[in-house]
Amino acid sequence: MADPFESYDDLEDIDDRLHAADPGERRVAIIALGHSGDPAAVAHLDRMTSDPDPGVRQQVALALGEFDGPEAAAALVKVLIDPEQAVANAAADSMAELKDPGCADAILPLVGHAHAFVRMASLRALKELRRKDTLKPALDALRDADAAVRVQAIGVIGFLKMEESIPALTAVTSDADAHVRRAAVSALAFSHMKPAAESITRALADTDWMVREVAAETLGTNANGMHAADALINALADEFWQVRLKAARSLGKMKVARAVAAIGSCISHPQANLRKEAAAALGEIADPGGRKFLEPVLDDPDPEVRKNARWAMQQIVSRKGALG
Amino acid sequence: MPLASYQTSVPVVVDDAKCIADKGCTVCVDVCPLDVLRISDMTGKAFMAYDECWYCMPCEADCPTGAVTVNIPYLLR
Amino acid sequence: MAMDEIVDGLSEVSCDVLVIGGGTAGPMAALKAKLKNPKANVVLLEKANVKRSGAISMGMDGLNNAVIPGYATPEQYTKEITIANDGIVDQKAVYKYAERCYGIIEELDSFGIRFLKNENGDYAVKKVHHIGTYVLPMPNGETVKKAIYRQLRRARILISNRYMATRLLTGSDGRIAGAISVNTRTAEILVIKAKAVILCMGAAGRLGLPTSGYMFGTYENAANSGDGYAMAYHAGAALANLECFQINPLIKDYNGPACAYVAGPFGAFTANNEGARFIECDYWSGQMMLEFYNELQSGKGPVFLKLDHLHEDTISEIETTLHKVERPTRGLFHEGRNTDYRQEPIEMHISEIGFCSGHSASGVFVDDFARTTVPGLYAAGDMASVPHNYMLGAFTNGSVAGEDAMEYADNTDFAKFDAADIEKERERVLAPTRREDGIPPNQIEYKARRLVNDYLQPPKVTRKFELGQRRLGEVREDMETRMIARNAHELLRALETQSIVDCADMAAHASLYRTESRWGLYHLRTDYPEKDNENWFCHSLLSKKDGRMTSEKRAVEPYIVPIGEDEKDLYDKQRVRASA
Ligand SMILES: Cc1cc2nc3c(=O)[nH]c(=O)nc-3n(C[C@H](O)[C@H](O)[C@H](O)COP(=O)(O)OP(=O)(O)OC[C@H]3O[C@@H](n4cnc5c(N)ncnc54)[C@H](O)[C@@H]3O)c2cc1C
Ligand code: SF4
Ligand code: SF4
Repeated sequence: MADPFESYDDLEDIDDRLHAADPGERRVAIIALGHSGDPAAVAHLDRMTSDPDPGVRQQVALALGEFDGPEAAAALVKVLIDPEQAVANAAADSMAELKDPGCADAILPLVGHAHAFVRMASLRALKELRRKDTLKPALDALRDADAAVRVQAIGVIGFLKMEESIPALTAVTSDADAHVRRAAVSALAFSHMKPAAESITRALADTDWMVREVAAETLGTNANGMHAADALINALADEFWQVRLKAARSLGKMKVARAVAAIGSCISHPQANLRKEAAAALGEIADPGGRKFLEPVLDDPDPEVRKNARWAMQQIVSRKGALG
Repeated sequence: MPLASYQTSVPVVVDDAKCIADKGCTVCVDVCPLDVLRISDMTGKAFMAYDECWYCMPCEADCPTGAVTVNIPYLLR
Repeated sequence: MAMDEIVDGLSEVSCDVLVIGGGTAGPMAALKAKLKNPKANVVLLEKANVKRSGAISMGMDGLNNAVIPGYATPEQYTKEITIANDGIVDQKAVYKYAERCYGIIEELDSFGIRFLKNENGDYAVKKVHHIGTYVLPMPNGETVKKAIYRQLRRARILISNRYMATRLLTGSDGRIAGAISVNTRTAEILVIKAKAVILCMGAAGRLGLPTSGYMFGTYENAANSGDGYAMAYHAGAALANLECFQINPLIKDYNGPACAYVAGPFGAFTANNEGARFIECDYWSGQMMLEFYNELQSGKGPVFLKLDHLHEDTISEIETTLHKVERPTRGLFHEGRNTDYRQEPIEMHISEIGFCSGHSASGVFVDDFARTTVPGLYAAGDMASVPHNYMLGAFTNGSVAGEDAMEYADNTDFAKFDAADIEKERERVLAPTRREDGIPPNQIEYKARRLVNDYLQPPKVTRKFELGQRRLGEVREDMETRMIARNAHELLRALETQSIVDCADMAAHASLYRTESRWGLYHLRTDYPEKDNENWFCHSLLSKKDGRMTSEKRAVEPYIVPIGEDEKDLYDKQRVRASA
């Protein structure tokens, strides 16, 4: 009977198979290399990055995804710049799984590559590695001509959470591309400095509703969000209910008592999701002024609205009790 | 009691022109959780041998040449 | 050699810790056991292939129950699970999970598994309701298995793919001694002697029959045929609260989750035919399923997942996750029917019944170290009794089991067992291959599962259950005397059928034992429609004693997180209807 266990000797006769004339056979050998999990496989894979057959190179890019560390990263760099897009895509996916900070050395030079896709993918991979020396190239990449590259550059900067990057991030909150603005606004969340909160606040007036939504949400988590309470109250009249919903949630979280009336005015909105969030926010604030807005929705047709309204009433009652 | 065979149209289709099972690939057969794919002795290519599919996709996702297509089994389409 | 031809053969190996089932809990258990003692032998036995087996074969789109500092506390979580499970919870194990799961998330992250992070690299936990925040999406979750498999290879765990475990071996002193398995492509027998065994064989997902009639179109991975439940039973371990069935809300016919957890934070919700919300319950529970069931039965059904009120851009974002991870054929299914989330809501239905602790509370009884009632035998994941633990629970409790099992193995020797047990099991396993003529497994399985639907599906009626037991007895008779398998693959299905029939018997027995209604739809008995806390505020434990199926009560362990009187019946209070 054959050995019942999966083999750990996949590399034994691998050299012959990697040199097979048929690309299909080479592909199968590369699958075995990836499967082996043996770090010694990386050197073989690295050599195969220059295989003439694109299918083989794609397989190499995939197989490299099974490994971490500077050697794997160096090999992935070679397939990320492959002329075949399918090969490059596979390499980009594998690269995004790297965790060893040592990988950054191999990837960093690609941030200046001629192809936007390569720049985007290398920044995306660098993000998870969180290495301080990636800040400078990422800051430069904020001026990249390609929006997808700028979005990933924001990620690299945002993951590092360094206050010195706030001016640069602030600058991209007025980028021409809405995706970039969205990313920039949420990357500012960590900052304890006032200018960051001010930039997020300005984004409440963005032309794109999704940027406004992110801004409303982010202010709820930012250390200086409180200073934006009035702007958030204005956002409760946004033409998109999605924006109002996040504004209500943030104001609730921050327990802004003067927002009660404006939140209350959302409670008759036809969109149940907004009514629910408004009721919950009134509960978090627990100001007696919320009562008159909550009463009409205590028997709202939507169970989530009813439940949150009831909970909110309880919060108001118990807080009143606590105050004597 | 005698047995009769029963016709069923299987959900998973393999493109023989793309399949490299004849070069030694067995990836789809290896990964299928229901173990319903096999390599044909006749064609040397992969095929669905048993109509017992969870339409879960590993066979299609992991095939190195994009030869596999998973369809929704007819009864629930 | 012809395809799946039966080969005569038997071999034996031994190891310190044997893990059976390489889905979610199993790989983690094996990894942790090995890391605890790198010199020890750890075997991971899997019916399919560890690379792509189990519930998460194509990844998952999110964690449903992540207890992340700053968003929820272990106390809060324990309380919620206690309430969601109508109080029948040994809190220690739940609390332990809640304390440890964040560490496991960080570990999974270090393996290269990608959770949703915000632009500052922090986990982007999503709020679903005001009570607690537990949802962490994984839009790139398709790499979960790959990442775990990589760790197993790195630790050089011994992996046996395509071996189906059939029975456990126990020593004369009652300790676990190992397991017997059969190769699913050759029918060769492999005996694995072990000092400790961890069962991670997932839910009993092939118990009920999906309404489509397609036997493998189940909610659960269809390879999870309840073998773990059957094996634990035959080894004498106790199984807890099996009457607390698993039933899930699903996309009709497709029978996969519609993923309210993914779409919910974006504003999607479950609605009736008026487009209105109707679910009162805050937690995924039997109570929620009862509300779902009632709505389906009322004039307000069918039930839908409603997204058409969301913005086009939001829907696109949801789609990229739903159609790539977990059940990626979802998109293909909708395409085939020309349903577009933007235009119309998605019709939903409820699933077939099964056993599963991952989603409800029916599993092999375990304590907070994942120990079963058989010394040296552990269980984790969907098949172990820690309620509502989902994917992260499988990982976390798998890791608890792995560590404790290795410690046990390090301090013990192999249990001595009767060699005749092996021969007996070999004959039982191969019996369907020895017959010239008979009934194929697919027909027996279909009939058993059709009977499960007809007689055992809630609402539960005593008279129906008794009839069901009789019919299932007839099927068992056919299965034991006439079932035929002509090749190794058919033998795999034949053996699965035996687990299915065992589970059906257990489902009936356990349901009749608990003479009250509890857990909403999961155990709704029309003859005993009320909850009876006086007599039934307890676990029910089913086990094999002197060759017979028996049930007994077991007290719920004193709570470590107290539940206030006013919170106990939270559900009943939540059911405040709109005044007409
Ligand atoms: C469709 C679906 C969607 C889900 N969505 C989510 C979600 O979004 N978030 C979340 O947190 N949870 C989710 N869950 C739940 C979660 O996936 C499970 O709780 C968890 O993965 C269970 O892990 P497990 O190890 O117990 O079982 P599994 O991962 O199913 O593993 C069981 C393994 O045992 C093997 N096996 C079975 N019988 C035998 C035998 N006789 N011999 C050897 N091996 C055997 C099987 O092949 C399988 O590999 C979902 C589940 C499903 C099915
Ligand atoms: S994985 Fe693809 S190439 Fe390989 S055997 Fe299957 S169909 Fe053929
Ligand atoms: S879809 Fe899943 S069950 Fe069906 S053949 Fe492919 S891997 Fe197997």
